[in-house]
Amino acid sequence: MICAGIDAGSRTIKVVLLDPQTREVLAAGVRDQGVQQDLLAQQLLDKLLDERGLGRADIRRAVATGYGRRLVPVAEETITEITCHARGVRHRVPAAATIIDIGGQDSKLLRLGADGGVRDFVMNDRCAAGTGRFLEVLSARLAVRLGSLGDLARRSSAPAVISSMCVVFAETEIVGLLAAGAAAADIVAGVQAAIAARVAAMAGRNVTAPVVFTGGVALVPGMDAALAAALGCQVAVAPDPQLTGALGAALLAADGNEG
Amino acid sequence: MNTPRQITLPQWDARYARLRAAGLCEPAYGGPLGRHAADGDSRLLRLRLDDSPAALRLWNFLLTEDERLYQARAAGKRIVGTMKDLGTVPVMAYALENVVAFYPDGAWWLPCLMERNTKLLEIADGLGIDDSFCPVRAMLGAFAGEPHFPLPDLLTCSVGAVCDDFSAIAQRLAGLGFPILWWEVPHRRHPEGGETAVPLPGGFLAPQSQVAFVQDELERVRQALAAMAGEPLSDERLRAGIAEANRVRRLLEELRRLAFTAECCPLGALEMLIAEMLAIHFCSDRAETIGVLEELAAEVRRRVDQGVGVLPAVEHRRACSHGGRAVPARVYWVNPVADLRVMNLLEDAGGWLCGSEYLFCHALLPIPEDLPPLEALARTALADPMVGSATDRAAYVVGDARRFAAEAVVISRIPGASHCALEGQIIAQAVRAELGLPVLEIEVPPITDALEPGLRTRLEALVEIVHHARQR
Repeated sequence: MICAGIDAGSRTIKVVLLDPQTREVLAAGVRDQGVQQDLLAQQLLDKLLDERGLGRADIRRAVATGYGRRLVPVAEETITEITCHARGVRHRVPAAATIIDIGGQDSKLLRLGADGGVRDFVMNDRCAAGTGRFLEVLSARLAVRLGSLGDLARRSSAPAVISSMCVVFAETEIVGLLAAGAAAADIVAGVQAAIAARVAAMAGRNVTAPVVFTGGVALVPGMDAALAAALGCQVAVAPDPQLTGALGAALLAADGNEG
Repeated sequence: MNTPRQITLPQWDARYARLRAAGLCEPAYGGPLGRHAADGDSRLLRLRLDDSPAALRLWNFLLTEDERLYQARAAGKRIVGTMKDLGTVPVMAYALENVVAFYPDGAWWLPCLMERNTKLLEIADGLGIDDSFCPVRAMLGAFAGEPHFPLPDLLTCSVGAVCDDFSAIAQRLAGLGFPILWWEVPHRRHPEGGETAVPLPGGFLAPQSQVAFVQDELERVRQALAAMAGEPLSDERLRAGIAEANRVRRLLEELRRLAFTAECCPLGALEMLIAEMLAIHFCSDRAETIGVLEELAAEVRRRVDQGVGVLPAVEHRRACSHGGRAVPARVYWVNPVADLRVMNLLEDAGGWLCGSEYLFCHALLPIPEDLPPLEALARTALADPMVGSATDRAAYVVGDARRFAAEAVVISRIPGASHCALEGQIIAQAVRAELGLPVLEIEVPPITDALEPGLRTRLEALVEIVHHARQR
């Protein structure tokens, strides 16, 4: 029997299949989110199960997390991504004291207790300026693939200053910078710094190291460095950062079977 | 024994028919709650309401305020609109025989209750008071647009150490030709060396000079009220008015103590919020406020005695794994919400309201009855959490949350409200430092439907943290 974690995020769906005894990840996958979230999640789950020669009947317990967690009927239980990210990080980086999770739609800072559980958290409000959405807007405006933004930012010699706290207005600033002849690399580096600054402002002055970075935005090269600069401490990217929530959900499913 | 529960409006109307058939007696403003939705308060269809006759009376009392005000006008009563002031001038107004006071700021719930169909916020937009201001700007729309309440014979407004945005809204109202009697409340400060310190309700101190200043301001209000009513407002009448206001406050104190210290939740967050709001201005009928609260307190006392609660036990994964059913997380709430549905959402997420500070904690404290009445009212006005420092307010929240053994604190920001921009972080820091509790800051606009998934995630995560902490 296995356990499953399904993270129905705002931009992508992630699934992790886990051996509850060994806590070994048996399979993991990511696909884009869509309108029929339940169907998309089930398709991804079934695909991963099929690849391992397993079926639904082999799932002992499944936990769903993420914004769409209530729309995943295949899971018996829902747990917020805050708790799931903490559980996933505790498994991979037990010493972590702070987690920064930046996804497509929101950013969070989690303060962990000595036992790895969440002690407190803060999340961005309605503004998307500290989230992956900002990078998507930038990617579309510059006609550069999301995955290439980091490499582009590395070539920056003078990062642009993005003043706006709102992505919509920030896009206007980007248009203005392009019109003024600013280099794309400098604009990307400026946006990365702006996202990091938003997260640092949300964190306040009390960030305890070690800091672990999770979520899809952690896959963008250079974002960890931008965060480290803004926070004034080292930031380590979690292994498979995009899968942390789904991993945590699978682990919590396994934990729940222990009782 | 009837097990209390929360029900929808259609369920309430079916229950109402059964209660009536069984001989339910109601005041004149009674009736099925569904009629309010039919009249435009469509938000009620999305709320879960307590199923007791006491709650029926509470909701009917709240939702008939405009009708009762028009009836009061028709009966020849004089009407005072008391803006910004939370619980001082209404005490004076109700000391007069033929006067009722209401709280025009209460119009801030109209965009929620009527799901923005009133266009009050849009009217305010058109008058230059846009969404960078607190949703109480709906009040401006209520004055300037189609009438939602009779225009008052006298309009008072406290100014000085109040929210900047509210002052701007009230000034815009005055600019539109609505005469306002302004009375000033200074920023409450700690007495300095050589100044006589005066204790205020709630435990804070103020210099005697500030108390005297506010007393003089209230003397002006007294003269204006007497002139409007055509009868003197004597100290004797004020004393009687204070005694009646204290009846309301004692009832609310009992209700809070019962509800927030019970073993299971005897009354939902929504009804507790509405009940506490009655302290500010008695919902335009002081005598009926006492009746409503007496019935509500009796119902809650009965539930506490019988050990029954209105919330279902939360099935929590870890609690269940140990064969138990978790008690909802005890949550202390700071600031009122513009969308009433969020109080239901707290309970959906596994929370239980166990304490609150809705910006008028001073209106829940007894007014001193052993002082000259205007001095007693001046001291009460200076105890307003909004006229002191954010640090003072944080200290109050910490003390109250400790008193009710809260396990988490939610600070609900009011979008555009100037005080919320700063206070939240100061209160959060104090709660974390003094109580070691998790704190969640959220922002609640008048309609939260599109934000519900995000709000739910935050509240559920807070509850998960509480459950995790219980296992440590």
